[in-house]
Amino acid sequence: MRTLAELSSAAAEALVRVRAREDILEAQIVVSANVHNVIRFNFTSRIPCNGVEEVKSKEDFGIGVTAVFRMPDGSTKVGSGSEANNITVDGLNIALQKALEGAVDDPEFVSLPRPLEGVERVLVNYHDPRMLELSNKGFIDSGWKILDGVVAEFSASEALKKFAAGLGKEPHELRLVAGGDLNIICERFAIVSTSMPEVQTDESTVSTSQITSMVEDFNAKGTGYGSYTSLESFSDAAGRKSAGNAVLACGVHREDAVEPPMRLASGRYTVIFGPQAISDILNNLVAPSLTASAFYHEDTPFLGKMRQIVASRELNIYDDATDRTQVGAKGITCEGLPTRRVDLIKEGRLVGLLSNWYETMRLLHKDEKAAEKLGVKPEELFKEGGLLPSSGFRFGGRGGGRGYDTTPGISGTNIFIKGTNPAPLSEMIAGIRMGIYIGRIWYCYPMASLAAADFTATVIGDSFVIKDGKLFAPLRANVARLNDNVTRVLNSIEAVSDSSEAIVLWAADEIPVAADMLVTGVRVDEIGES
Amino acid sequence: MQGSRIHIGLGDAIKVELPVILAEARRKFIFLRYADIRVDISEMQSAGAESGMMKSSGRDYSLELYVRAIAGSAITASGSYGVSLGPADLGRFFEIAREAVATAYERAVYSAMNKVERRVSYGALGEMLHSTELAPVPPVHDTYVVPAEIIPHEVPLARLEEAVRSVSGEIKARYKKVVMNAIGIGAWTEREIVATTEGTLVDQTFPFVECFAYVQAVSGKIVQPHYDVLAHQGGFEIVEWGVNEEFVKFPNLMDFSLDLAAEASMLATAPKCPTTDRPVVVLTDPHYNTLLSHEIAGHPMELDRGLKMETAYAGRTWLLSGLDENMIGKRIGSELLSAYSDPLLPGYGHYRYDHEGTPARRVTHIENGIFRGFMNSRQTSAILGDVPNGHYKANGGQVMPLIRMSNTVFAQGTSNPADMIAEVEHGYYISGHRIPSIAESRENFRISSRKVYEIRDGKLGEMYRDGGIMADSRDFFMNVDAVGNDFRLYPIASCGKGQPMQVKRLGNGGPTIRSRAWLVGGE
Repeated sequence: MRTLAELSSAAAEALVRVRAREDILEAQIVVSANVHNVIRFNFTSRIPCNGVEEVKSKEDFGIGVTAVFRMPDGSTKVGSGSEANNITVDGLNIALQKALEGAVDDPEFVSLPRPLEGVERVLVNYHDPRMLELSNKGFIDSGWKILDGVVAEFSASEALKKFAAGLGKEPHELRLVAGGDLNIICERFAIVSTSMPEVQTDESTVSTSQITSMVEDFNAKGTGYGSYTSLESFSDAAGRKSAGNAVLACGVHREDAVEPPMRLASGRYTVIFGPQAISDILNNLVAPSLTASAFYHEDTPFLGKMRQIVASRELNIYDDATDRTQVGAKGITCEGLPTRRVDLIKEGRLVGLLSNWYETMRLLHKDEKAAEKLGVKPEELFKEGGLLPSSGFRFGGRGGGRGYDTTPGISGTNIFIKGTNPAPLSEMIAGIRMGIYIGRIWYCYPMASLAAADFTATVIGDSFVIKDGKLFAPLRANVARLNDNVTRVLNSIEAVSDSSEAIVLWAADEIPVAADMLVTGVRVDEIGES
Repeated sequence: MQGSRIHIGLGDAIKVELPVILAEARRKFIFLRYADIRVDISEMQSAGAESGMMKSSGRDYSLELYVRAIAGSAITASGSYGVSLGPADLGRFFEIAREAVATAYERAVYSAMNKVERRVSYGALGEMLHSTELAPVPPVHDTYVVPAEIIPHEVPLARLEEAVRSVSGEIKARYKKVVMNAIGIGAWTEREIVATTEGTLVDQTFPFVECFAYVQAVSGKIVQPHYDVLAHQGGFEIVEWGVNEEFVKFPNLMDFSLDLAAEASMLATAPKCPTTDRPVVVLTDPHYNTLLSHEIAGHPMELDRGLKMETAYAGRTWLLSGLDENMIGKRIGSELLSAYSDPLLPGYGHYRYDHEGTPARRVTHIENGIFRGFMNSRQTSAILGDVPNGHYKANGGQVMPLIRMSNTVFAQGTSNPADMIAEVEHGYYISGHRIPSIAESRENFRISSRKVYEIRDGKLGEMYRDGGIMADSRDFFMNVDAVGNDFRLYPIASCGKGQPMQVKRLGNGGPTIRSRAWLVGGE
């Protein structure tokens, strides 16, 4: 993998060359290198399997440039180009040629990113460099270790042995399954521009695991998550947790009896959404509605509601790339601006948006309806810090890696969902006469538009029926579908727990750190009866 | 191999050397049982406009390499390695390929050692850890090129720019309710070369044109975002003339986009779709059935799901619980219902060989309501004891293939769609697909549609917005009581699967179908 020094040197040299071009009015140069190592698991106790199913990686590096050109006819056009695996002057020239060839006259383009007054970089040297040098063997060992955790947990589980005995089987005959992955994404990034001529660099790793275990004879599913900010933190915990949760989902022990997984009739229920469920709703419905582009395009349920109460007073959502304890940490954005905490919803009040340079400038300078769309004047929101371009990243929706060949989109990093007056989860459960703890949902999407806010999702694991203040029985996997509206849900939050967990979502660029939330009146439909 | 840029022609030199590299690997690596190398070369260009304003444009190329190795002594495992390359690498391309094979091999061997150890240490739980085996396929040498009239990567970029600008501008000029539109074109040629240690060498070249239209109509507080894709394997003629083939029919991009804008404008003033409290008669049109076939006839019939390989993310399938507990040979639908996957159909998912060089062939999934089988790969077919049918594909050159749909469809029926409507006393006509949400093992679905029409006394009546249907998949299949003779193939440009996520292009479709489902409107 190219070193940070090589990337930095290439960026500096590129700026010198670009400045010498009379036809370039301004330019931004990105030089990046990414390696994405993945281990995928497939373990089954009744079907031939490989355990560690896939050991693979992909990697890339290159140079990308966005430039504003003065054309021969005097007009200006902006274009982007990149070149793979060549960060020399030749590579820059090829990238520039591509940028010039594809340059367009976008009337909504204002400028390339400029420094922000009063915003300084706070995060440097925040990752474990040894993770960038992990060997093949170290990487494979880490993967098998996680699977070892799954098997150890299943093997040692007295509860699983009892469940098996109840069916006249041995534990391995219960159709045990474990799948998931270990991801180690290594990112090196250098950026420089005519407006920010000092080369800035960033180096980070995003290491996560998500393990799903099942005891299929009970249709019981459990999940375990791992996020690793250092080599020491790699462990078998995610594997153990997933297997443990799968066993828990086989039945709830009550005195001398065990309540097996059950179905629930359709209806409206009081629901405690667990961290994964909250994260999925956030990732697919709430966060996309809290971007500057959603407001520009008028596709958000929060249109015109800046500074207004849009959710329960218990709800707080903020993005913080500067939190070094979480794996989504970044020192600078992919536009060369310092990362910072971005408050989105504070005690139920809409206070800020995720944005990149282009969208912020568009709302500030090019949209006559911006004030109406936001509900406040954009320049006021910018001054308050609610419209700063602090979320421009070149992830490209591929779940990791900062692309030299990708234009900056808007993305969260570490997104926190917390309560104003958090309470212990046990207290939240104790207050429910009849309800559901929903631990994991799937295929959560807006069914019409973000603005309409109707959504659906299925409940696929880690879930329990609550009766008289206690977990009564596991909810069978795949027998319940949520059909509700996200603005109603956000306004029906009555309590938030005082514990939280970092959740790994499939193909998501952000890492939510979410608490549990109690929501009343959630519509749940019974499915999978045939 | 030298050169200053990446171009499709590089494949000629690459395909000569790949078998040599693999033969060397067989001699050098004593525990190597199998390896394949895949090289993907693309030349592409694209342009995008929003509300009449140009937003992006450009040309580029790519060269990617992927190697899989299966190795081990007592037990084998697989390892792989992928990398993105550029013109600067051409001088040492074959050296990089050799290094890639060595890395994949090292990973496979080390993983195999771990597997051997766990087979013992896991006790009874380790009994199913087994060697990675591939079902046999005869080696094949072939070259296949899909023709195009106007080679997509050779069209002047200005022509793409003009196309998106004019279409986007025309929508803005004509449809005042459409507050925002986005039109994009991607046009590229892609050459894929696969070589294996068993002697297979296949070389396939595909022209692609993919146009994306997104419109957002607003009326008061009602927001109607709608999208559609005009895409096909072929040349730039698709943009300017559309497609008029037996199963694939599209107008040109201008008419395609204006139709979408017109619909969105109408829907912005349409009433909200009601929700029924029980299943009702529904007719789903071919465009809607494109997503329906994808979600409930395609995905659950991918064998890796059956073998639990996708339990963590993409899910399992209700069609197979275990090797001896599955629905093969059992009734899952009415006698009128059939479905199959066929890579040889001329749809967006067309190909002749998959990414391990297996000749692609039609696989029947549902035959007159009886479930017959899965799409598979060589590895998964070995586990089930099936014959490989060539559905192992990656969406890019440096990533691992997965089991993917090719052109997966509901089969044509014999009923006249007009008669199917006329026979309905009260029901709903579901037109155009939108957003899906499917249960984990694909046993239940809710898919929203672009339009819903109420049918009363055999006639289409009120049109609704923001509706769709929901049903258990088996119930829907079993209640099919009419299948139309209006079979159509459509593109799906973004099917997500795998980790890291791969977004695949493929084909789906079918005729009009009549069944029963809950009608679901908005909250």
